[in-house]
Parts: sequence; structure tokens; C-alpha cells
Amino acid sequence: MGADPDEELVRRIGAGDTAAVQAMVARKLPRILALAARMLGDPAEAEDVAQETFVRIWRRASGWRQGHARFDTWIHRVALNLCYDRLRRRREWTTDELPEVADEAPLPDVMPGDEERRVNQALQRIAPRQREAIVLVYYQELSNIEAAGAMQVSVDALESLLARGRRSLQAMLVGDGDD
Amino acid sequence: MAEKTSGGPMDAERFAALADAYGGALHRWPPGEQAAAMLFADTNEGRAILARAGRLDAMLDRHRVDAPSPALHRTIVVRAAAEVRQSRRRRFWWLGFGLAGVGLAGAVAGLALVAVVSPDMQPDHYVMDANATSFGDAGPDADPYEENL
Repeated sequence: MGADPDEELVRRIGAGDTAAVQAMVARKLPRILALAARMLGDPAEAEDVAQETFVRIWRRASGWRQGHARFDTWIHRVALNLCYDRLRRRREWTTDELPEVADEAPLPDVMPGDEERRVNQALQRIAPRQREAIVLVYYQELSNIEAAGAMQVSVDALESLLARGRRSLQAMLVGDGDD
Repeated sequence: MAEKTSGGPMDAERFAALADAYGGALHRWPPGEQAAAMLFADTNEGRAILARAGRLDAMLDRHRVDAPSPALHRTIVVRAAAEVRQSRRRRFWWLGFGLAGVGLAGAVAGLALVAVVSPDMQPDHYVMDANATSFGDAGPDADPYEENL
């Protein structure tokens, strides 16, 4: 693992440098917000998760030491944990276990231009772990090793989650999941 | 967590498995397998697999997230100053607590060492007083019960 590109910025934040705080927010907020929005499918909740993630960043900054994970991978993990807390709190989750099976029924046709909402619905219908894998690799563009590290699974397990998630999305959105 | 590397040409099965997982854009594929994948992507079979994966990618690309609002950015920055200050104070407190603990542990270890190195001094001779016998004290304060035996 090479040098962490965020390490210097984190060190400056820990020393109380307000310019570094601004730089960190500008650098990471769009990524964290996008991650939470796609995991939760709710912009308002995503903003709450982004705020809570940064609170943890500020609290950790003065003692941050690079261990096995890069800072960016660590904040992805923090944000994902906060997303899972919210998913568990939602009324539809009646047990602690989040469902692993996606509802792959094709989504109803929508008006042209409404595809974004359709994709959002499809993402929310696949199993959360599959969604997490797709969000990290496809949207956040983490490498397979970084994504597997953030999810605390092996690369093989990550690839399995990705493939199953994409197959479900393919069935819902493109309608040819079985070919 | 080791990165897989391709030692030779990629077969269709592996190429399809990677496209199923990572989609049709090779830059998202595992770096160690990209070179072999690029060669296979030039074949008819490779192009067909990528085209199929690309259809889903095109749908996924339509999902966009709005940029953070200036208000959210401001809220997060305002909170930072207080949190960082509090966190540093907490760290210093724990550091002081740790140093005190180290000092205390050192003192205890020092006392233990002294006790081991210099045990209680015993006199090298015993001075018997006038009332003492080899069997005990036979003076006026001796146990009267013993005398009646």
C-alpha cells in the first residue's frame, strides 16, 4: 500500500488547521453524500449520514494513524456503518438480519426521462450487501481490494456480490437477466 | 488481501465472469487482469460480452446524485472546530492519565524491587533477658496455668 493521499490533510486537521477542514469537506463530502444517497435512496437521510461521518472524521483526526486501511477506505466504512444503522431502524426491517434475496420482478415502465428514479428503485430493491458492493466499485470507483477491505470480505466474495447484484439489476432494468 | 494476476491469456469464461462483476468498463476491472482482458476484448466474443455488460452500465450511469448544498457544506465545517478541539482535549487528558499510570506502576515496581533485594533485617544474635529460659518466659508474668501442671 502506497502513501495515503489524505494523510497530510488529516494531520493538519488534527492540528486545528481550518483551511484543511475546508479542503477535506470539499474533497470528501460529494463522495460520502453520493455513497449514502445510493445506499439509502433518500437524499435527506444521506445528508444526515454525511454530517455524522464528518463528526467522526473530526473526532478521529488528531489521533489518526494509517493502519491497514487508507483514510478514504476508513471513511467509506464509517459511512456504510451509519447507513446500515439507518436501514436497520427502518420499519420494514423487522429483524436484525437484512435480506439477502433481491426482488427481481421487472420494474414498471416509466415515462421517458424518469429512468433515474427507476434505477434508484432498482438499487433499493437488491440486497443491501449487493448494493454496497456495486456502489463502492461502480459509483465510488474503489478498486476491488479497497472495496473488499471496506466491506471486510475477500475479493472473491466481493465479486460474487457484484455479479449477483448486477444480475438482479439487469433483470429489473434491462429485462434480459437470464441471457 | 492479494490481487489476482493473470499469468497467461484470458479465457471467455473468466472474461464473462469479470464483466458480470465489474461491468463493461475495463478500468474498473482488477488491475492485475486488465492487460489480458484487453487482448480478449478485441475478439468477437469479448466485444459481445462487453456490449451486454455495457447496457446495464448505461442504465446505472443515469443515476446521479445532486452536489452537496452550500448549507450542508457550511454546517459540517462549523461543527468541525468544536469537535477537533474537544477531541484534542480528550486525547491530552488520556495522555496525562496514561503518564500518571506509568508513574504509579513505576513506584509499585520500585517498592517491590526494594522488598526483594533487601528483606527484613534479622538480628544475628538474641539477647535473653533475666526472666527468659530456653522454654520460654519464666518470670512473674508467666502463664500461671502452666505452673499448676
